Amino acid sequence: MLYLLVSIPFIGALLVYPATERLRLPPSLVAGLMALSALVLLLFIGFPVYSGAVLLSRAEWIPQIGLSFSFRLDGLGLLFAELILGIGVLVVLYARYYLTELEAGPRFYAFLLLFMGAMLGLVLSENLLLMMVFWELTSLASFLLIGFRRHTSEARQGARLALFVTGGGGFALLAAVLIMGQIVGSYELSDVLASGRLVADHHLYPLVLVLFLIGVGTKSAQFPFHFWLPHAMAAPTPVSAYLHSATMVKAGIFLLGRFFPVLAGSELWFYMVSGMGLSTLLLGAYLALFQHDLKGLLAYSTISHLGLITLLFGLGTPLGEIAAIFHVINHAVFKASLFMAAGIIDHESGTRDMRKLNGLFKYMPHTAALAMVAAAAMAGVPLLNGFLSKEMFFGETLVLKWLVEAQWHWLFPMAATVAGIFAVAYSLRFIHDVFFNGEPVNLPKTPHEPPRWMKVPVEVLVVLCIGVGVFPNFTVRPLLESAAAAVLQQPLPEFSLSIWHGFNTPLVMSLVAMGGGAILYSGRKWLFRAHDRIPFQISGKQWAESLVESIFQLGEMVDRLLDSRSLRRYSFFLLAIVVAAGAVSLWGESFPAAKALTPVTIPVVIGGLLLGAGSIATAVWHGKRLLAVIMLSIVGLMTALLFAYFSAPDLAMTQLLVEIASVILVLLAMYFLPQLTPPESSRIRLARDITLGVIAGIGVAILSYSMLVQPLDSISSYYLSQSKPGGGGTNVVNVILVDFRGFDTLGEVTVLGIAAVGIVAMIGGLKIWGPEKDWLGRSWAGDRHPVLLTTVSKLILPFALIVSAYLFLRGHNYPGGGFIAGLVTGVALTLQYIASGSDRARQRLPWDNLKLVGAGILIATGTGLGSWVFGFPFLTTTFAYVTLPIVGKFEIASAMLFDLGVYLAVVGTVLLILAGMGGLHQREENV
Amino acid sequence: MQFDMPSLIPVLPEAFIATMACVVLVVDLFLKQEQRIVTYSIAQFSLLMAVLITMATSTGDSQIVFHGSVIRDTMSDVLKVAICIVTAGAFLYAKDYLRDRDLFKGEFYVLSLFAVLGMMIMVSANSFLTVYLGLELLALSLYALVAFDNNSGLGSEAAMKYFVLGALASGMLLYGISMIYGATGSIEFQPVAEALVSTGMNNTVLVFGLVFLVIGLAFKFGAVPFHMWVPDVYQGAPTAVVLFLGSAPKIAAFALAMRLLVDGLGSLHADWQGMLAILAVLSMAVGNVIAIAQTNIKRMLAYSTISHVGFILVGILAGTSKGYTAAMFYSIVYAVMAVGAFGIVVLLSRKGFEAEQLSDYKGLNDRNPWFAAMMLLIMFSMAGVPPTVGFFAKLFVLEAVVSIDMVWLALVGVAFSIIGAYYYLRIVKLMYFDKPEDQEPLTAGMDTRIALSVNGLAMLVLGMFPGGLLSVCAAAFS
Repeated sequence: MLYLLVSIPFIGALLVYPATERLRLPPSLVAGLMALSALVLLLFIGFPVYSGAVLLSRAEWIPQIGLSFSFRLDGLGLLFAELILGIGVLVVLYARYYLTELEAGPRFYAFLLLFMGAMLGLVLSENLLLMMVFWELTSLASFLLIGFRRHTSEARQGARLALFVTGGGGFALLAAVLIMGQIVGSYELSDVLASGRLVADHHLYPLVLVLFLIGVGTKSAQFPFHFWLPHAMAAPTPVSAYLHSATMVKAGIFLLGRFFPVLAGSELWFYMVSGMGLSTLLLGAYLALFQHDLKGLLAYSTISHLGLITLLFGLGTPLGEIAAIFHVINHAVFKASLFMAAGIIDHESGTRDMRKLNGLFKYMPHTAALAMVAAAAMAGVPLLNGFLSKEMFFGETLVLKWLVEAQWHWLFPMAATVAGIFAVAYSLRFIHDVFFNGEPVNLPKTPHEPPRWMKVPVEVLVVLCIGVGVFPNFTVRPLLESAAAAVLQQPLPEFSLSIWHGFNTPLVMSLVAMGGGAILYSGRKWLFRAHDRIPFQISGKQWAESLVESIFQLGEMVDRLLDSRSLRRYSFFLLAIVVAAGAVSLWGESFPAAKALTPVTIPVVIGGLLLGAGSIATAVWHGKRLLAVIMLSIVGLMTALLFAYFSAPDLAMTQLLVEIASVILVLLAMYFLPQLTPPESSRIRLARDITLGVIAGIGVAILSYSMLVQPLDSISSYYLSQSKPGGGGTNVVNVILVDFRGFDTLGEVTVLGIAAVGIVAMIGGLKIWGPEKDWLGRSWAGDRHPVLLTTVSKLILPFALIVSAYLFLRGHNYPGGGFIAGLVTGVALTLQYIASGSDRARQRLPWDNLKLVGAGILIATGTGLGSWVFGFPFLTTTFAYVTLPIVGKFEIASAMLFDLGVYLAVVGTVLLILAGMGGLHQREENV
Repeated sequence: MQFDMPSLIPVLPEAFIATMACVVLVVDLFLKQEQRIVTYSIAQFSLLMAVLITMATSTGDSQIVFHGSVIRDTMSDVLKVAICIVTAGAFLYAKDYLRDRDLFKGEFYVLSLFAVLGMMIMVSANSFLTVYLGLELLALSLYALVAFDNNSGLGSEAAMKYFVLGALASGMLLYGISMIYGATGSIEFQPVAEALVSTGMNNTVLVFGLVFLVIGLAFKFGAVPFHMWVPDVYQGAPTAVVLFLGSAPKIAAFALAMRLLVDGLGSLHADWQGMLAILAVLSMAVGNVIAIAQTNIKRMLAYSTISHVGFILVGILAGTSKGYTAAMFYSIVYAVMAVGAFGIVVLLSRKGFEAEQLSDYKGLNDRNPWFAAMMLLIMFSMAGVPPTVGFFAKLFVLEAVVSIDMVWLALVGVAFSIIGAYYYLRIVKLMYFDKPEDQEPLTAGMDTRIALSVNGLAMLVLGMFPGGLLSVCAAAFS
């Protein structure tokens, strides 16, 4: 049943559109019927709640995080649900006449029902997370309603401000709820309420409370978050009557009640909640008096009354809590009727400015009478509902548990009386200024009584004011008792709702408030002038806007600071942060040398120094490119030598040959670069970059050191022992390449081939125009192919080929192998290109290098596949001993065939790349 | 090297995507420009089939194959399916965009499929090497994709920056991996984890390895302070590429973090938790604050990504299965949201008009109320407004982090969510409250319209029923 109850407004919101369009029903009728049926259902199923029953329905939604789709109807929920639906029905009726059909339309009623559903869900939620979902939904729906007149900028600003404040508060509340649920171990309200002092004694209690109060304060417009409410008055009046009297602003109050047993009772609660309430009460009452806008007055008075309720909850006493609940009812009733009356006045006279509205009594006596009764209830006049709760409030401020020792106990009754004085004064203003006090000034319309049915909602509410005020025990007591009991979670103390308690202090306070209010109002002209002279007006809206503005500016500032869009700065940041992170983790660490380091010898020192010098020279002379390349080759050479020195001849050879090939490549590419380097960075920037570079270098050195002193079980011993028996070779590097990790090599060779193909494709149709003269204006040397070089290169070629064949054959046992041999052949052939020019070289080396690469890859793959023929896994190798004349006995392994593939692929690739680059140059010269 | 079928079945999805990428590459060569739709169809078919194959070969328990290099478990299955679906969405939205701008080429699909392959490898990696392989395959494809429109100077610049910084970060990651190898003697996760349990953290090399690993990871995530490439790449790359780049790789990044930090270095949780916390807080702060200042929606969404990454990191650093579940949920949901948001950008753009400025969204409600509503849902979801799924994603993460008593982190997350909500809602405001400046009708095809509607409504439907996806995510960590 509870599901049905909560879903009725949502279903209604969905139904409004089709019902209006298809069935041609007025949307207000659909909305009204929906709200009414929900109300009837509530009254029907809510009956047992009066006797203390709690209705629960549970359904799992997301059990993993404890979110269930469960609802709970207890006294407090019932009270609020009745307010929401009851006033909802009246508001729909009122809106039917207040808004023209054209203006309202189905959209308005859909939003209204959406809001109604969200509120209903909120007050009936059993699960705290579910409650949060509905909480945010109310913020959203109210945003839509306040901004309903989206063509006006006040509506948009007001809506945005309301969403900004209440939505933000919602997130704080979410955090509070999460922590609370964590402390209790469940998000079910029943569990939380039954947890007793668990939360209040937890060390996170102050945090929970602060977050909770931010949520409550923003929603219920408590100081210092009250400022959004007056701006929300841009909403159509039915919305104000609904949201800002009875429902939305009461959501925070509802939570105060809901979590009263869990959070209340501590000193912190008292100071924070009642402090917030007290300041809101006074501020709201004070500001209400100075509003000239009818709705503005009501908005501030709402703030003030909400503060009063908060203050009562803050006292933390059972009686205070009963008074708070009572005032919730009373305030909802009289404030809704006042808003509606204000709406009628606005509607019929065309303005809400109290400086223009005067003497309306003779134009609309009936409305005036209703409004006067409601305003009197707001002021706390006896025989009306406001009087009763206000008396209780005054009474409660006299019996404080806290502040007693500090001689501050007079503060609360004093403040309450002052607030009462102001309340009477602004109520008087509402009555006297609007309905009497001379004649209206320049009204846009001639005021008259509104349509009959527009007054009905006001009449109903005013009757309630009087009914509750005269027969409290008869009308409101059952509801109040069940709600108060639901809040307290324990038996209620005795309390009396009678009108006459004898001549006691609260009554004196009431009388003082009445008299004081009348005096204050009569001196209002002087007061207004004084108020206008206050040099600074605290405007929460401006404050919020400047907050948003400052966040905006902060964003732009951080944007400028961090988002430079410069790659150099990005990389600087990146490296600097890495260095910093490294330094932080390095701090205080030591590196015990667990392993003896290789002794430092003189050749190593010399090699290392040359290496360093070469690197530095490259960096320093990077502007002079040829010099830089030479320096770079020194670095490469020294690296090769150091490899050789540390017994890695294969590496050394490879390094040496790759070095040669790459230097040739760089030289070839250099021809096409602009001849002058771009201007240098400023010295400061250079110094900065050098510093960072040096620090990063030191860091890497430290890291390498720490790595080197690590005790490490190297896998090399496995390869060392298995090389000969498993792969038939003693050169472990080569055996690894062609046998143990032959698959990897096959992949690498293929990649090499792909790269070659890619380069061929890329430079195939490319024409680059090289400069005819160098940067000093000199022509290039005329002698393209020096005779000496040509001759020597021809002499060298056979030797080079023999060397490469030798390296290839012995590769399996001694330094060498297909890769190195391929590089030797490739470089030797490239020399022919350089010495004799591309055309001649191509004539003498007529084969297609691309096919060479392909053949190499095919042979390598074929070797691998060959082992499948013999039933072995891919790339299994075998070897045998063969004796050749001259060379002698050596092993021939199937891996050697594989190595041949590697050899061919490498030769082809080197030639393709280098000759291709050279060819670019050639073509340009021929043009 | 032996190929036996039992070890091939678990990698069938990857093998399939790899094959299909090659098929697309070859088939595309023989197509005329007006037949390019065939390429697109093959690519979509591949993704669809990959989803089906993943589901069909899923066993529910974890299998380790290829000598410990590859793992097939529930997490990898779920993430692979998510990656393929999100990518399919990105392809769909991108089609018209590419065709209008003469970018409708086979290379886009080849590169994207290889990127998907890279992600799938990352997702099911069981050794540092495999992770790295997948990561680089992804990254290299993305570098090329960012520069896909080679007439765009901004695109080339972005690709260059991305490449240089990305290479640097890959280097860091590799450096970290090698140091961890040095300290533990293995590159497979289980042996590393075992070695760590016995040695603990009192090893300087290991500290460094972890630091570099986290740096590399943070870069790939785009977490502050390693985020600099993100805005430039989002802004510079064609929207069609950002669609892809901004969505599915976030799922892969989550997997990367899980594999490296949890599977490999789980016992160092106490050490990486702090690092991730710093990254998360900075990401949420800087991402949200800078996003406010943006006027270009792609750049704004880039910063929004950064802030969402902060949230994903918060989930991971919780170090509990609850936290991992939340982070996984978040990353999948984020990918769906991101692809939807960029889908709207694509929808509004047309030849010669990129719809990149925030002001281009003014009055969208008046021009097309339905897609304005879809964008509204996506923006609400990104902002974390209930009952959209984004709210629950945030809620799960916050709950996870509260449950390990890191309340302060939850509060930071909440605070920056509020700031973040501002710029998402600003778009809503522009769409609903402002007058349109641009009156051209939307030109998107019917498939895009349907997909976008599904995408937008998914925000709401997943928000109403997040339990299904959540339990799928939770199953990965049970």
